[in-house]
Amino acid sequence: MPKAGEEGYYPFCPDESKYEKLAKIGQGTFGEVFKARDKKTKNVVAMKKVLMENEKEGFPITALREIKILQVLKNDNIVNLLEICRAKPAPYNRYKSTVYLVFEFCEHDLAGLLSNPQVKFSLAEIKKVMQQLLNGLYYIHSNKILHRDMKAANILITKTGRLKLADFGLARAFSDKLNRYTNRVVTLWYRPPELLLGERNYGPAIDLWGGGCIMAEMWTRSPIMQGNTEQHQLTLISQLCGAIAPEVWPGVEKLDLFTKIELPKGDKRKVKERLHKFVKDQYALDLLDKLLTLDPSKRVNSDDALNHDFFWVDPLPQDLNNMLSRHNKSMFEYLAPPRRRVPIHQQPQHPGAVRPTGHNPDQHFEPIF
Amino acid sequence: MSSDNEARVHFRVIRYMHEAGLKLHLQSVPLATASTIYHRFFRQAALKDFDPYLIGATCISLACKVEEESVRLRDIVNVCYRTLHKNKAPLEIGETFWALRESVASCELFLLRALKFKVVFPHPHKYLVHYLRALSDWVEPKVWEEVPVCRTAWAMLRDSYHSSFCLDHPPEHVAVAVIYFALLTHGLEVPCQKYAKKKWWQVFSKDLSLDIIQDIITKLMTMYDMENQLSSSSR
Repeated sequence: MPKAGEEGYYPFCPDESKYEKLAKIGQGTFGEVFKARDKKTKNVVAMKKVLMENEKEGFPITALREIKILQVLKNDNIVNLLEICRAKPAPYNRYKSTVYLVFEFCEHDLAGLLSNPQVKFSLAEIKKVMQQLLNGLYYIHSNKILHRDMKAANILITKTGRLKLADFGLARAFSDKLNRYTNRVVTLWYRPPELLLGERNYGPAIDLWGGGCIMAEMWTRSPIMQGNTEQHQLTLISQLCGAIAPEVWPGVEKLDLFTKIELPKGDKRKVKERLHKFVKDQYALDLLDKLLTLDPSKRVNSDDALNHDFFWVDPLPQDLNNMLSRHNKSMFEYLAPPRRRVPIHQQPQHPGAVRPTGHNPDQHFEPIF
Repeated sequence: MSSDNEARVHFRVIRYMHEAGLKLHLQSVPLATASTIYHRFFRQAALKDFDPYLIGATCISLACKVEEESVRLRDIVNVCYRTLHKNKAPLEIGETFWALRESVASCELFLLRALKFKVVFPHPHKYLVHYLRALSDWVEPKVWEEVPVCRTAWAMLRDSYHSSFCLDHPPEHVAVAVIYFALLTHGLEVPCQKYAKKKWWQVFSKDLSLDIIQDIITKLMTMYDMENQLSSSSR
């Protein structure tokens, strides 16, 4: 066995001590996230700790996937991986080595911005957010990668208004062949109906459902469907998007859970009607309607969504630069004060699935529907 | 150890890795990744400092993760042990098993660090498939069916990992070179090459020259020579 821990053996992997930790800013899928500063260059970065405890199977494959994927993805709307650092085995980490992913620092996340009532988005600015979000999705999907954890807290925004998709901890490559992926992905509130019904051969459409939920949230300021069980989530989806049935979604009857789960019957599709209370723009409502389509094969893809009139009629998308320059404090969901004092049920946990909510336990959302 | 001797050690380790990989039903690409990680590591590390068989087993386990091939670490440990110790009884669950497993598990992180977490490699395999497909349209169907060029080229590519030249040549070049060599060994000629403005391989890769092809073929032949020496002097 190599003499691990000895100096000189890792010519390429720098030590974490080159950074100075400033604050904890979040909890990722498999570890904590810190704001830190490069002691030499004074560059501010985000450091995500890779949990290595209890890894009998060696280096966690989820972490390896994230690293592999981030090394390939280089785009303005994807969080940029700068380097990977190590921490030497020492008493404080019980002689287990730790690995940190070092990212460029982004000042805000979308959930944090939306929870601050002082942050106001104009229609043109919402267009810019959605355009960048869809552009990021277009880029990863054309690179054959699924994000699998779309939610407002994973959308980072720099102080100059550039949007970056982050947290590829659940992401994986996909192929056009028949696949059997795990359906235990995506935070419940953003999980599309096909996953809730047990589909294992899914594709990029799952990320666009989440994109639709996030788009609605730009106006509602809270997640639109806050189910507390899979069953409840499907009920909420049916109430908004209409009953889940073979008439609107041919083939749905073949999904594993279609017959095993009780689905509300007879609900009419009310996406535009119910969101109209919050969203006045007709083009926005139309795009939302297309993103929140039950049948994944009919759901709009990122390319067509980017071509939607919403982005091409006045007011045209406008940079967030100006609006954000009025706020000089970092806004992260993790650090945000509770949005409003309306209690919601704790989201149930199931083994091996996405972390319960990733939300601050003190964080409460007002249910929208 | 002389570099000649070192090359022989690496040849043996790769042979053991391929044998274990076969027993684990690994596809060609994960095996290619495992071999490439192995060679890449020993480009920067000294053979005397490490147990190459442990590194080899770890390369297999890492490559399976990189290529999304779900193989249990338990199976890798058992199969590698069995491949390495043919005369001993299979590994029982016990101290040795857990120690070996723990070694591979912690060696994974070590390898990742040493390689700066760069474990995705472009392999010649996909190029080889496309080039062969294109060539099959040029050659007489009957001839193409009778002469096993595809199988030979594929086998040569697999064997090529016994030496480390995969690190020194772009995947397109290696793919062309093994086809070139396979055609040569079967005495098959691509039709109309005399009159063609471009050689067949120039269509596939712009920056390729006959010198490069010959260089790769020479390296392949050196590798096959080594196999002969090893088998004549027994394992």
